[in-house]
Amino acid sequence: MTCDSVRDMLGAYMDGELDANAEFQLRTHLAECPDCPEAYRRLRFLKDGIRETNLYYAAPKELEASIRTSLGTAKKNEHAAGIGFRQWMAIAASVLVALSIGMGLYVFRRGTTSELVAQQVVSSHVRAMIGTHLIDVPSSDQHTVKPWFNGKLDYSPPVRDLKNEGFALVGGRVDYLNDRRVAALVYERRKHVINVFVWPTTRKAQATKLETLNGYNVVRWADAGMAFWVTSDLNAKELQQFAALLRR
Amino acid sequence: MRETGNLADFEDVILPHLNAAYNLARWLLRRDEDAQDVVHDSFLRAHRYFASFEGGDGRAWLLGIVRNTCMTFLRKKRSFEPLPEFSGQREKSENGSPDPERALLLKENIASLRHCIEALPPEYREVIIMRELEELSYKEIGSVAGVALGTVMSRLNRARKRLEECVANASKGVAQ
Repeated sequence: MTCDSVRDMLGAYMDGELDANAEFQLRTHLAECPDCPEAYRRLRFLKDGIRETNLYYAAPKELEASIRTSLGTAKKNEHAAGIGFRQWMAIAASVLVALSIGMGLYVFRRGTTSELVAQQVVSSHVRAMIGTHLIDVPSSDQHTVKPWFNGKLDYSPPVRDLKNEGFALVGGRVDYLNDRRVAALVYERRKHVINVFVWPTTRKAQATKLETLNGYNVVRWADAGMAFWVTSDLNAKELQQFAALLRR
Repeated sequence: MRETGNLADFEDVILPHLNAAYNLARWLLRRDEDAQDVVHDSFLRAHRYFASFEGGDGRAWLLGIVRNTCMTFLRKKRSFEPLPEFSGQREKSENGSPDPERALLLKENIASLRHCIEALPPEYREVIIMRELEELSYKEIGSVAGVALGTVMSRLNRARKRLEECVANASKGVAQ
């Protein structure tokens, strides 16, 4: 993909409007290109700026009242009967319910960053599995994999082989999620592939959490300023065991 | 088939989207009184044509009516008033160089973001409002504005590009 065609699609990518194939190609480009991530960051910043600035014009109270009056009249003309007090109350109640449901959804959509990340982690795992881009540096040697990230990321992810514990390191790649370039480490356990995503975080440490998304187990934690997101179709027990080994 | 003018259904399906209707009209027309008039008119129309509503998302259906009523209003009002002179504070970043990121962070530049959206042509302004403030999908935006998906995408791209430039210029202290 050329940078020009990527730039035309960055907005749709940000809005989640690309099909899976195009999204995959774009993420691959973002993980490799020196310039496009900056353009994406600017776009993202503008979007967040618009959303976080209070730009929404809510309807004035008197407008609602005047519309209700007009509609009430329209009804009167059609059926030669007004709406009774009870009906008004029912209408007011349903509008209130609708409004509060609307607001609830709004808060919900905004409030769950970690769910969004978990979703991205799983879809990145799935895409890597069905695509051809699971591993950029195939190696079971942590001293090969770790230096490979130099110059590709602005941080150095911790890399450990756990072959003796039954989790063999098979390689790594650079992926793109949570709006940044991240290290993805790939491990295997009895043919089950485990993807470990690592990126810097402001959190010093965070306890291990397990969740299940679309049938994949996701384990996450933070240590020493690095966030770890681990996902696999491996069973929850063994994945947590793997997490404990990595945290050791 | 829905009974024409079923007020109870209309109240349930359409009236909850009053804020969305007003927000779009207010951004397209830029004046409160005009927006109120057009939204009021749109609701009466929506009520009249409610029988043609085939179910689904009441908001997109209503916004389509509001949008068309706004565009008709704008076309009629040929004597298009010039934009009010931008009087928002223009922040310079500390080192004096353009820094849109920092600029956006500053509260003072809320004024410039608002101004920059208002300065967009209506066709660009509406896609930004529908996407960022109403969070409509491209498909829904296309149906409201009566354009193809590709057009939604390219208008959003151009709108965002202009906004980026406008906000960067405002933070540099350069008049538009």
